[in-house]
Amino acid sequence: MKDRPNLPPSAAPTAAPFTVDGAFVRRDGRDVLAGIDLRVDSGDVLAVLGPNGAGKSTLVKALLGLVPLSAGRTEIYGEPPARFRAWKRIGYVPQRLPMGGGVPATVREVVASGRVARTSRWRPALFNDRAADRAAVDRALKTVGLTGHARDSAHLLSGGEQQRVLIARALAGEPDVFVMDEPTAGVDARSQAALASALHELAGAGRTVVLVTHEPGPLEPLITRTLELGQGRIVRESTVESTAMGRPA
Amino acid sequence: MSEMLQYDYMRIALAMAVLIGLAAPAVGTFLVQRKLSLLGDGIGHIALTGIGLGLLTSTSPVLGALVVSVLGAVAIEVLRARSRSGADVALALLFYGGLAGGVILTSANGGSGTSLHAYLFGSITSVTATDLYMIAGLAAAVLGIVALFGRELFLLCQDEEVARAAGLPVRFLSVLIAATAAVTVVISMRAIGLLLVSALMIVPVAAAQQLTRGFRGTMLVAMAAGVLSAVSGLAGSFQYDLPPGPSIVLLALALFMAAVAGGSVVRRRRARSATAGDTVPATAGSGAETRVDAEAEVLRG
Repeated sequence: MKDRPNLPPSAAPTAAPFTVDGAFVRRDGRDVLAGIDLRVDSGDVLAVLGPNGAGKSTLVKALLGLVPLSAGRTEIYGEPPARFRAWKRIGYVPQRLPMGGGVPATVREVVASGRVARTSRWRPALFNDRAADRAAVDRALKTVGLTGHARDSAHLLSGGEQQRVLIARALAGEPDVFVMDEPTAGVDARSQAALASALHELAGAGRTVVLVTHEPGPLEPLITRTLELGQGRIVRESTVESTAMGRPA
Repeated sequence: MSEMLQYDYMRIALAMAVLIGLAAPAVGTFLVQRKLSLLGDGIGHIALTGIGLGLLTSTSPVLGALVVSVLGAVAIEVLRARSRSGADVALALLFYGGLAGGVILTSANGGSGTSLHAYLFGSITSVTATDLYMIAGLAAAVLGIVALFGRELFLLCQDEEVARAAGLPVRFLSVLIAATAAVTVVISMRAIGLLLVSALMIVPVAAAQQLTRGFRGTMLVAMAAGVLSAVSGLAGSFQYDLPPGPSIVLLALALFMAAVAGGSVVRRRRARSATAGDTVPATAGSGAETRVDAEAEVLRG
């Protein structure tokens, strides 16, 4: 149960990673999301597109239960977020690494914290499988090309490198579903390439990816579905018939 | 040093200094990263009401302080979770209520200004061996919580939303860290005093983060700085007949100044070795400059 990422879902084996029914999110008297219906199936690589303020980030946060809905419902593998327990199946990549109070953290420390959903809450870190943790962290660092920066302070890296740290943190948890909020925003070419190769690996392994982006850029060939938001509504949806990897959508 | 060890109370006090020097910065590292640097200060104010209650009911003031400050810490977390804007004023109300309540209760008890003074600014001489056992037990509990929940608390302090998306019990962990801070305040109040107790949680961390690159490193250096300033501050206060709390805090501040000076040297050296083609990233200057530098390096590379 502990270390296998590909086990059948414990709750409901046939449930889709995410389903959204008529979701509304209100903020400051305005509907940020206004009636979203969506189903993300296993193996989808879904790009959520749209201009600034269209509700893209709010949508992915709503998927994860991080913002309260004013109407409608969302489910993660068939469970409402509040009742969902198998969080180790989810890897969330936020927009940026918050500075907090300025206590430094090494790249390795940040990436290793992505393993936290896999460790038992009531068992001290000492008794968990540290070799598996270390191997997963090493793999994640290698995938994003930051092995040489493992001991550096994460906050002193460039924006693109910090983004790769956040992606590596999600990778280290070996989840089935990745939710990435603008992983390409303000990222240099080298980091974009590292991101594309990480995504390629994920998609090839049949993982589900939900990705918020302005510009698909080098990720374009990996994407199997796109969803365009405008003012909190879905304005366009399309499915790519087959991808560059020859995988049916 | 050998002279002061002849006194029983000094031996007890020094053992206590080591314990609080370890516990306070360990908790403080999480508080600083959560931007709750003044939480300890607020809990100190609230704890005074507990001391007043303890004196009034002639039970242990330490026990009273422990119960009231843990309850206060939980209340603070609940208020913070409810609303970010209203919480600010609610916290202030709680802090002043705690301080005023404490003063009223101690004076209602007929307590003189001196006993209040001892709790506000610390009084080492009044500590008994029984106190030490209680404090040792509580310090062990604090360090145990940091060791047990360190990974979860680290992620919580990094990014609360990511912590929630990792399935962590965010509310429980927030209350846990506030309650642990409350216990630390109670441990440290005898030596440092309630008004200065927060300094030993925050100042060593502020000093350590000038020199370190990682979270664990910051915590360990801060604990070392905490023990150093607590023990030498206590020894100095004995030697020169000064109040212990302020001596400890001023020494911690001196360590902070030294770390700022040392840190800029370390950063300059790292920056130089980075321009010399090393893999160490440029760390000099403000964040914005650094980012530009590093970005340029990536583009060149």
